[in-house]
Amino acid sequence: MLGKLTLRQKIFSYACLVLLAILILFPIYYMLTVSLKTNRDIYRVPSLLLPNPTLANYAELLGRRGFAVNMRNSLIVAGSATVISVLISCLAAYSLVRLRYRGRTWIGRLILFSYLTPASLLFIPLAVIISRLQLGNTLQGLIFTYLTFAAPLSTWLLMGFFRNVPVDLEEQAMVDGATRLEALFHILLPVIAPGLVAVSVFTFTGAWNELLLALIFTTSPEIRTVPVALQYLITGDVFRWGLIMAGAVVAAVPIMTLYYLSQRFVVQGLAAGAVKT
Amino acid sequence: MARPVVLPTSVRASRISLSRRTSLLGYALVAPVVICLLILVVYPFLFGVAISFTNREIGTEGQFVGLANFIYLSRLPSFQKSIVNTLVLVGVVQTMKLVFGLGIALLLNQAIRARQFWRGLILLPWAMPAFVAYLTWKLLYLPQGGAFNVISVGLGFGNIDFLSRELAMPSVILATFWRGFPFWVISFLAALQSVPQEQYEAAAIDGASAWQRFWHITLPGILPVVLVVVLLSTIWTTNSFENIWLITQGGPSDATMTFPVLAYYGLQTLRIGEAAAVSVAMLPVFVTMAFIGVKMLEKE
Repeated sequence: MLGKLTLRQKIFSYACLVLLAILILFPIYYMLTVSLKTNRDIYRVPSLLLPNPTLANYAELLGRRGFAVNMRNSLIVAGSATVISVLISCLAAYSLVRLRYRGRTWIGRLILFSYLTPASLLFIPLAVIISRLQLGNTLQGLIFTYLTFAAPLSTWLLMGFFRNVPVDLEEQAMVDGATRLEALFHILLPVIAPGLVAVSVFTFTGAWNELLLALIFTTSPEIRTVPVALQYLITGDVFRWGLIMAGAVVAAVPIMTLYYLSQRFVVQGLAAGAVKT
Repeated sequence: MARPVVLPTSVRASRISLSRRTSLLGYALVAPVVICLLILVVYPFLFGVAISFTNREIGTEGQFVGLANFIYLSRLPSFQKSIVNTLVLVGVVQTMKLVFGLGIALLLNQAIRARQFWRGLILLPWAMPAFVAYLTWKLLYLPQGGAFNVISVGLGFGNIDFLSRELAMPSVILATFWRGFPFWVISFLAALQSVPQEQYEAAAIDGASAWQRFWHITLPGILPVVLVVVLLSTIWTTNSFENIWLITQGGPSDATMTFPVLAYYGLQTLRIGEAAAVSVAMLPVFVTMAFIGVKMLEKE
């Protein structure tokens, strides 16, 4: 397959790749330019170019108290969901990979099944449960429901990392008198530290990007996360696309940077892309 | 009863207690996640099914009404439309992802310069938050100020309403494809690179054509990955909400209504029984896919 290409094949291949690059980059380019335009430039003289770039949208957005609150909410929710999820998932993944007991296979299946279950099938009963627990319109409620996808995702990914570590390492430590939990925290976790970072990033990304549950469970503006706040900007009466795109850029850039940085920690293969968002 | 005494009792006792301690520890460590999933996935799952057979509304428990909600839904034009739309959307988008995903992966698997760069570039739409991607596509489609209309006016075609009844579905399909195809390309590429090189060399010696090599070596080599990717992505695409909600909100006049969006509208009417029935009507399909999915992922 990797044989020498003829000149014509080469030209064809690179032509396809250039087309592909345009398809991928054009929407991103347009999003960036609109975020740097005034309302007037966007609607009165629509253009693919950027004649008068301005940071006015960013200044307005970041100056708005509301958006700062949205960012804070998103950080709290995604951060807490990640910490809780990675913590309990470490224990569960270790247990499922290293310890033998009855029902282990079924618990593994439960986790896979939960990983595959989309929020769109669960949100109606979840809404009833959340209101019954008096957690409606609170960040705690959101953090709690985010474990529906965060916990199975991080457990599943961590199981993969644990499996790749030879058992001898911990057994050696245990022969030397360490308990199982000491072996887990002092030997195993440091070895898979890069994996732990990657899993945290993917879990954080999933929670940061979540829209459906946040839309349902947050009703007042001061509880809204960033996706919900931007959603209200497009369903409102006045369209401010410059502002919306500035918000989109601010929401996307840090998370995409993290995503790319952690890519190299992930084992090649399916896991590379297999992250539910 | 003859007891074969193999080990001194003290040793045996400590052994038993050790294995018992191990399983107790095992249960204790896995418990937090299991309890979470029982409360947040298993219970809502069953509870949702139970609600769908009642006329529950916000604030009332409701009563058992048998299949009434499902009979009501089956006659509801929005529901019928949402089934057809979900099938069309998933069918077309997944076919496009398969064809282009495989094509692009094969292209990148050739002796291409700066493969890492291309890989990173292709990953962009997938690394982007879904809500950002779909907001951007909504912007591209805008009748006033949208990029596609700037182009179409510039080329002399005049203004085109990309979110009209006729064009809304193709527009959503294109956006959904854009956001989802990188996952397929990257997974296929990883699978292609794991196909043993010697097999190609042996085939070349035997004088196999490019097509024969693809059909007899490449395809069987990557098939397991292809199947997992198709299944996972089909589950996600069938249930995706953002693509529709942020671009068309299901409109105009149900032209892009899919079942997650219909269920969301149902929740807003506060008739929870009916809304739950929308999701539950999809369960047989989901459960079938999930069972196959669990089997496939377990093998990994």
